[in-house]
Amino acid sequence: MYGLVEAPVEDKRITLKEAVKLVQDGSHLFWGGFGFQRPPMAFAQELVRQNKRNLTIYTCGSEMDIDILSGARVVSRFELAFYAIEGIGLVPNIQRRIREGSIEFEDYSNLAMALRFLGGALGVPFMPLKSMLGTDMLAKKRFRTKKAEVIKCPFTGEKVVLVPSVRPDFSIVHAQRVDREGNVQIDGIKGEDVEGARAGKKVIVLAEEIVETEFIRAQPDQTAIPNIYVTHVVECPWGSYPMMVYNYYDYDMEHVQMYYDQCKSEEGWQKYCEEYITSVDGHIEFLQKIGIERLMKLKAKKPLPY
Amino acid sequence: MSKKYAKPEEFNTLELMAVCGSKQIKNGEVVFIGTGLPLIAAMLAKKTHAPRAKIVYEAGFIDSNAKEIALSIADSRLGYRASGAIGLIETLGLMLQGGHVDLGFVGAAQIDEYGNINTTYIGSFEKPTVRLPGSGGGNDIVSSAKRIVVIMTHEKRKMVKKLDYLTSPGFLDGPGAREKAGLSGGGPSLVVTNLCQMDFDPGTKRMRLATIHPGISVQQVLENTGFDLVVPKNVPTTEFPTYEELALLRAIDPTGIYIPREKT
Repeated sequence: MYGLVEAPVEDKRITLKEAVKLVQDGSHLFWGGFGFQRPPMAFAQELVRQNKRNLTIYTCGSEMDIDILSGARVVSRFELAFYAIEGIGLVPNIQRRIREGSIEFEDYSNLAMALRFLGGALGVPFMPLKSMLGTDMLAKKRFRTKKAEVIKCPFTGEKVVLVPSVRPDFSIVHAQRVDREGNVQIDGIKGEDVEGARAGKKVIVLAEEIVETEFIRAQPDQTAIPNIYVTHVVECPWGSYPMMVYNYYDYDMEHVQMYYDQCKSEEGWQKYCEEYITSVDGHIEFLQKIGIERLMKLKAKKPLPY
Repeated sequence: MSKKYAKPEEFNTLELMAVCGSKQIKNGEVVFIGTGLPLIAAMLAKKTHAPRAKIVYEAGFIDSNAKEIALSIADSRLGYRASGAIGLIETLGLMLQGGHVDLGFVGAAQIDEYGNINTTYIGSFEKPTVRLPGSGGGNDIVSSAKRIVVIMTHEKRKMVKKLDYLTSPGFLDGPGAREKAGLSGGGPSLVVTNLCQMDFDPGTKRMRLATIHPGISVQQVLENTGFDLVVPKNVPTTEFPTYEELALLRAIDPTGIYIPREKT
């Protein structure tokens, strides 16, 4: 007799500390989130705590998260399109590290970066686009042997730019919900995370909530990243604080402004880093330091997503 | 009902600039905007002459009807009554590069006489003094939208003969250059500053004074411009905001996040 057996649910859950431990010095990372939305802030802080070095980060646009990584000298190279702390100013630590010559940037446009991730995900070596033509983004480069190339389309003769696809060692994405198998739901905008997650050789998904797989399977059309792509899953509530997560919480601009003001000087940054990152033992202790009262004020006031 | 225009002492320069930007948005158009004054301009346009304008933010919010001021183009506030929340391949790829975007708003740290824009480096590429935010979606928008409006402050160090770095293409080095480079969008159509509005001479593609803000002289504009601006014989004064527009602007940005209330 053969009975019907339910397939066991694979469990990809690991802790934030374990996840960060997997990232070796010198690794290349796709960095998820877009601007203020869903940056993997807790992952950035843990990379600092574990004293990682010499990472290369690929992203479209990131803000305080990559500034922290630059301040702590975790990252040495970026390939990206944008960084700033929107509404406040230029990212302070990055300015200093550039002046010191300890970090380097290769500049692309947002569409170029998003297509580079799509190309990596599709398993093709490059992608064509109609941006960057006629500019210094084509004429000037820093460390890549080849950054981009203009060709005439073999079919139409039209000029197009080719940009190299990216297959980073890890893709790091912070999402709203994931099940233990690694099926991911993202509310609100997806930025370039749909393509970026599929480009990584290994994919680590951090999420506000771990949900039952039945929750995912009752609404499969809501899955932004199916488990097939995902290597590890990390439960990480408030993992983008002090930035925002759609439907979950708003940004804490008071904290961001304090960060910005303090990081204008190296001493101020060192003080921030010690107080909020290196002297706390992990993400939960960081949240305790921020305090439940402050966090609850930021909770989304439904039906508004913020 | 006829329009009632405010008097110059009843509005500030940022309000005037926001109204100028708003007037560039036509009803029903698909418009790419960022944060800052363009956001206010778009919100104003939707409340006045262009209720059916579809406002798109490159991070993925489509046809947004935000009721609160957003600080980031990825701000959840922009999701309010949006028709879509997708991603960059959708907005910058399918929608923009696919040819569906009528108008884009961008800022500039430097601009030259052909409307080429720098948002990346100040100083030399080898040893920059300031590293600016970079292209973001700016280059994509300026490359592919049918029209571009630039909003920026008018200073000699920003209106330059030669850019420190060319991030986004205006008319490059003159007539026909965009087409030769393979660019599909229409290029810049208007530059709105705190002193004036400038368009581009159709023959030479060089920047040309179009209207001048109240209380500003042509001489002042020229003194603050680092290249040879085309100045026509007659330069009209910029149309003043109406009382209705001013009241709406103050309702849109009640706490003065982008338009501080004091006279500037």
